[in-house]
Amino acid sequence: MSATTDREVLLSLKHVEISFDNGGKHKFKAVQDANFDIYKGETFALVGESGSGKTTIGRAIMRINELSDGEITFEGKRISGKLSKQEDTAVIRSIQMIFQDPAASLNERATIEYIISEGLYNFHLYKNEEDRLAKVDRALEEVGLLPEHKSRYPHEFSGGQRQRVGIARALIMEPKLVVADEPISALDVSIRAQVLNLMNKLKNEKSLTYLFIAHDLSVVRFIADRIAVIHLGRIVEIAETEELFAYPIHPYTISLLSAVPMPDPIIEKQREPIVYSETVQEKTGPDYAMREIRPEHYVYCTPEQAKAYAEALDK
Amino acid sequence: MMEIQEENLFEFAEFDEKESEHIAAPRYSYWKSVWRTFIRSKVTVALTIFLIVLISFALIQPLYSGYDPLIAPNINKAENQYLPPSSEHIFGTDNIGNEVWDVVWAGARNSIIVSFVSTAIIMVLGILVGALWGFSKKMDKWMIEVYNVVANVPYLLLAMILSYVLGAGLGPLIFVMTCIDWIYVAYFIRTQVMIIRDREYNLASKCLGTRTFTMIQKNILPYLVSVIVTYISREIPALISYEVFLSYMGLGLGTNYASLGRTISQYKSFMTGYPHLFWIPVLVLAAIAISLYVVGQKLADATDPRTHR
Repeated sequence: MSATTDREVLLSLKHVEISFDNGGKHKFKAVQDANFDIYKGETFALVGESGSGKTTIGRAIMRINELSDGEITFEGKRISGKLSKQEDTAVIRSIQMIFQDPAASLNERATIEYIISEGLYNFHLYKNEEDRLAKVDRALEEVGLLPEHKSRYPHEFSGGQRQRVGIARALIMEPKLVVADEPISALDVSIRAQVLNLMNKLKNEKSLTYLFIAHDLSVVRFIADRIAVIHLGRIVEIAETEELFAYPIHPYTISLLSAVPMPDPIIEKQREPIVYSETVQEKTGPDYAMREIRPEHYVYCTPEQAKAYAEALDK
Repeated sequence: MMEIQEENLFEFAEFDEKESEHIAAPRYSYWKSVWRTFIRSKVTVALTIFLIVLISFALIQPLYSGYDPLIAPNINKAENQYLPPSSEHIFGTDNIGNEVWDVVWAGARNSIIVSFVSTAIIMVLGILVGALWGFSKKMDKWMIEVYNVVANVPYLLLAMILSYVLGAGLGPLIFVMTCIDWIYVAYFIRTQVMIIRDREYNLASKCLGTRTFTMIQKNILPYLVSVIVTYISREIPALISYEVFLSYMGLGLGTNYASLGRTISQYKSFMTGYPHLFWIPVLVLAAIAISLYVVGQKLADATDPRTHR
């Protein structure tokens, strides 16, 4: 594991808060004070239970959800809030998204050719028709599909194939950062590995950076370099993958890890899930902040708790 | 006994990964499937042919019949009046000696033209405004107020005032019939657009930087073909009936135009004495309206991809 401090920061979230209000009276904060950096070339995973706000963060980066506070910067430039048309185009081209549900994320009434060319059409990223078709063919081949699929419609494909169409559509824009919002959770178990391996292969070939949003820890352990654990809209722990699995510190992370099922009946029988409840530890307060407990391992806690965590780890 | 060597027992079965991606099903085309579903039922095909013959006849026959509502050449020939249908006079003759056959088709022609043109205007305007309305939250705020006001204007009263102000004629009648109806279509389309606007594939298009107009054209309207065709199939016969109603009330076309509504209105006093005069135009109206409705409904079903096999 190399030191991450000297690496180039690609995307950075600073004090990001996202809230939804219905008519102004009731404000629901989906994400509060989220801070993290994503370094160039890494796979950064955002893990949490449903409703924890991980998809909301992903969508805020895609600028579908607006921030109510804080800012998001990409390559040092602010991308949240209002952007000029030029900046807008640049951001769309550099950040692309892979969606969760391959059954819902493709336009059923368009051919695969149109779906994959959509980004090319929008910014006229081709010299002529031949060039566009060649680009589509190449994109299809990269994800293991055939050029003959161009004239087909999405409903003719299996879930895994559709997800690969979604990947091809995102990657034809030659993005730098790809936000993958639970890209395999809607897929059949038998093809999850196929899509994950494809994503890894493409990452190496095109030197991409991934923000991988997931709830499945075994998948995250396989693909991610660093992990942020999010609970009820608040990031509670950030660490490198092996560090987090070896030394989980925050009670929520411990509880989350204890819930991972093991494919071994003997271990599985002895596994005792640790239930996390807010009475175990007060969740938030003025003293709370992200504190470095071990190198590159940050936990959301008070100074006293930080001391206690460090002492517990020394034993 | 032969000694079994373990490494010979199994070998890797090879398979072509590319081949497994191949789709064997025949190519799908939306409009071809619509056509195949539509012609699957013989009744539908027969009714469609009947409808096409009926409408083309209504459009063409008056051009050659020489019928003019302002001229009554046989008004002084008593032997030519009130004749029942026969081989010589197919639908008989009326109180002023006109061929009912000519009168009915000339009326049907105007009614059909008015309803088709009005439907086209209503649908184009309604879909355009409705699609933008469904997309834009800003527009929704004030459009919904406009809708609330316009939808509560008493329609018949407005039709009466407009026909007095604008006079009787094809143009004013079409205006009267379209000036309110388009907002109902727009409202209907707005609701449909709102239902599918935030689906994930539309978010995906947004992330790819697709402009609203392209989204409407490629992501929204193709999904609405079926509901739009359903709406049209109800709108055309409804407007034919509405034209008849307005003309019957004296609000539609003037005396210098033939119209099914005016014809029925004129002949209604002969309902007991010469029932054929009243019933023939009514039956022609019913034949046109019902077959248009049924064929339209069948087409609407066929455009729904769930019915495609």
